Amino acid sequence: MDSSNTLSKYGVIGAGSFGLAIANLLAENGDVLIYARNEQQVKDININHLSKNYVMKEAVVATNDLKTIPAECQLIFPIVPSNGFVSMLEDIAPYLKPYHVLIHGTKGLYTPKKISGDILLRKEEVFTMSELIKVKTGVVRIGCLAGPNLASELAEDQPAATVIASKFNEVIELGQQALRSSRFQVYGSNELLGVELAGVLKNYVAIASGMLTGLGYGENARALLITRGMAELIYIAKALGANEKAFLGLAGIGDLIATCNSPKSRNYRVGLKLAEGKKLDEIIASIGEVAEGVKTLQIVKAMQKYGYRAPLAEILYKIVFEGLAIKKGIDFLMRFSSDKDAEYIVS
Amino acid sequence: MDGHQQIKNRLEPVIPEITDWPIYKLSQDRDSFLEEAIAKTIDDLLQSYSNAAVLHSELKSVLYQEKNRLTKEPWKSDTPEERIFWSEIKRQILLTDKLDEEKKKFKQDKKILRSILEYYSLEIVANFEPGKYNIARRILPFLFSRLMNASPGKKLKFLFGSKKTIYDKFNITGPIDHIRNLSKKGTVIIVPTHFSNIDSPTIGLIIDIIGLPAMTYGAGINLFTIGILSKWLNDLGAYKLDRRRKNKPYLELLKNYSTVAISRGAHSLFFPGGTRSRSGQIEKKLKLGLLGTALEAQRQNLLKFHKDTARKVYIVPVVLNYHFVMEASSLIRQHLAYEGKEQFIPEKDDFSTSYKLLKLIFKVITANPGMTVSFSSPMDVVGNEVDFEGNSINNIGQNVDIKDYFTLEGKMKEDKQRDNVYTSILGEKIVEKFLTANTVLSSHLVSFVAFELIQTEFKNLDIYQLLRVPVDEIEINIEEFRVKLNTIKEKIIDLYAEGKLRVHDRIKGDNDEIIKHGLKNLGVYHPSLPLLKNANGNIITQDLKVLYFYRNRLIGYGLEQHFK
Repeated sequence: MDSSNTLSKYGVIGAGSFGLAIANLLAENGDVLIYARNEQQVKDININHLSKNYVMKEAVVATNDLKTIPAECQLIFPIVPSNGFVSMLEDIAPYLKPYHVLIHGTKGLYTPKKISGDILLRKEEVFTMSELIKVKTGVVRIGCLAGPNLASELAEDQPAATVIASKFNEVIELGQQALRSSRFQVYGSNELLGVELAGVLKNYVAIASGMLTGLGYGENARALLITRGMAELIYIAKALGANEKAFLGLAGIGDLIATCNSPKSRNYRVGLKLAEGKKLDEIIASIGEVAEGVKTLQIVKAMQKYGYRAPLAEILYKIVFEGLAIKKGIDFLMRFSSDKDAEYIVS
Repeated sequence: MDGHQQIKNRLEPVIPEITDWPIYKLSQDRDSFLEEAIAKTIDDLLQSYSNAAVLHSELKSVLYQEKNRLTKEPWKSDTPEERIFWSEIKRQILLTDKLDEEKKKFKQDKKILRSILEYYSLEIVANFEPGKYNIARRILPFLFSRLMNASPGKKLKFLFGSKKTIYDKFNITGPIDHIRNLSKKGTVIIVPTHFSNIDSPTIGLIIDIIGLPAMTYGAGINLFTIGILSKWLNDLGAYKLDRRRKNKPYLELLKNYSTVAISRGAHSLFFPGGTRSRSGQIEKKLKLGLLGTALEAQRQNLLKFHKDTARKVYIVPVVLNYHFVMEASSLIRQHLAYEGKEQFIPEKDDFSTSYKLLKLIFKVITANPGMTVSFSSPMDVVGNEVDFEGNSINNIGQNVDIKDYFTLEGKMKEDKQRDNVYTSILGEKIVEKFLTANTVLSSHLVSFVAFELIQTEFKNLDIYQLLRVPVDEIEINIEEFRVKLNTIKEKIIDLYAEGKLRVHDRIKGDNDEIIKHGLKNLGVYHPSLPLLKNANGNIITQDLKVLYFYRNRLIGYGLEQHFK
């Protein structure tokens, strides 16, 4: 047993804007070791306490040697984009032990299959990040972090809250102790799959919300989108075996409202620019960081034959990937009606 | 499949002297063993009660439930002493009520709790008498082999039948050497599927055949209602459980009985499904209570001893397969009633006394041309595979230390909720292993194909409507049956090649032989046959529900989709 592991040092993997924000929150409760791939970024953090325009707390130390994270920290927060998640896990797996606790903050889905236009995916071919941790590493005590946590607002020390979900109460409690502060509240949930899906699926609704703004539409339209979008997400989640409870909480409706209203959300910006007539490739290039919603949309569409109807995802996919005019898409959606309101609650 | 063996002979006992067996030692240390279980139960209970008043009301409710049990659900096994005991407990509880100081009340209540637990423990506790065990291990194989050599029509001759040995009748497969080796290094928990009342004697006999020492196991108290069998099972190491009792102190004590026995190294046997599978399907949901005791015993050993000396606990799933399940008809009817779609009053499953049970055992053994016992590869208590030496190997092939699953900040920490999550993970793994160790017999295959063809024929009916179709409306063309059987057989062979299930050698052979053998052996002793051939050579049924029961054995592999 390596007794040098203590919980007073927290590990963060990934130094994107959300990873940096989490590192700063953790620094209020202990020392933090953050892994960044880029050597210059490591130097910036360690010498100037600055990274990507964020001021980093002094308790945050950076490394570009991944294995030092599991060697020095028992509680680790992997926060890397979903397309880099698998290779990160494969790199770190040899150093992980069953005593490690992983709480990820990545709102994305992964499939080993190559996604192309007409591919159909089965449930077993699509993984949430916690499912990936489960199959790619020997760690069992797994959790996730989800909620309305726009990195730039967290960086400004604005008040906010998050949800930690895990089957293990122990993991939730560890996460709460690590993250809680006077400006950051942490709720717990045992609905791991529900919370993960809530965080993931809302991303494509955010793309649609950006489009509405781009078209100059106002709040009636957005409220319609959010409520009907919410219903659609719940149907998808249920079909994938999750409980709908998480969707009525911070990770569900909370996160949906935040991302659908915020120009700071990358997914929202993708929608906005599409409405302005830009092409997807240019948009992705200009945003710089990954907008998870685009990939989520592809996966949701590929799984659609799986027993759920997701009209919003279907139309959005046509707009984003097949060049359907946005106005036409909206016309179609307005005609696609279900006559009962909030029917998912009673069903 | 690791070290797959087929057992043709009785194996040398892993521990030659019965007096060296863990179960014997446990029986010898009975007093200290029971005291440990009681003390732990008192600790656990007091921890769970928020204050002294909760304990007091718990005692009152135990008393109330016990009185109800004795008056409303009396069994032959209840003794007159029980009434005297509970009257005394009542008197003691009234005494507490009269005390004025809280401290004194609490002390008195703790005393009452202890005497109730001591009383329960003497009822539960198993005995183990080597002499009785030796008699059983000689008689049981004799009976099994004689009975299985009997064929219908030759009943009187069965005792003098052919000289085929019992090992020709049992088809025992799996990594037996591996399991034997682990029984020397740690504590082995055998967890079989449960379809019939004869599962316990079968598995008891098999454990002896493969040379493992006898195991502790919990037997329902109804089996103890008639003198001789009761005493016998008890002397063979079975502890007693009374399913009528639902009170918390009793249930906690039962769990701790098992936990302490396992942590002291007594190999144990549980049926993790709780009761017999009603539907005929392999258990999908397990009862986690007893399984949890394996995990808890493991954790306690790690806490008490250095990691190199702490006994490890190993879980071995086992699947039992028969061509004929005597209780099939009442089980499937109970299942349908439970599902709430069939209007009928459940028949009583009438094997509740020793005599009837023995009769059943005789009849079933006589009727089964062979029994298949498939051991799966062993696991640790969190569901990792273990190597020959007992080291845990995790899902990505790393050697892991079981202690690390209970460790945080370098220290072992007790956490019941964590234990529960691990136990449910273990439960899922056991269910997976059940499916992969399940051995397809000819009778399973013919019943599956026949039922699916009938279902295709009546595809507009739901399952409950289908089961009410009059049997004379049903006839399966033999040619169609042959074709479909071949398709499914090939799928099964593919699954076998992928290690997703096991097959009896016969399944690899000629199709007509499979059909012939399957029809001949599928539930032959049921008054109405699940499958038979009519004058035209086509296939008909006399009992669709029983057919459904046998067909369910092959659920869980997606084979149904080949009929759509």
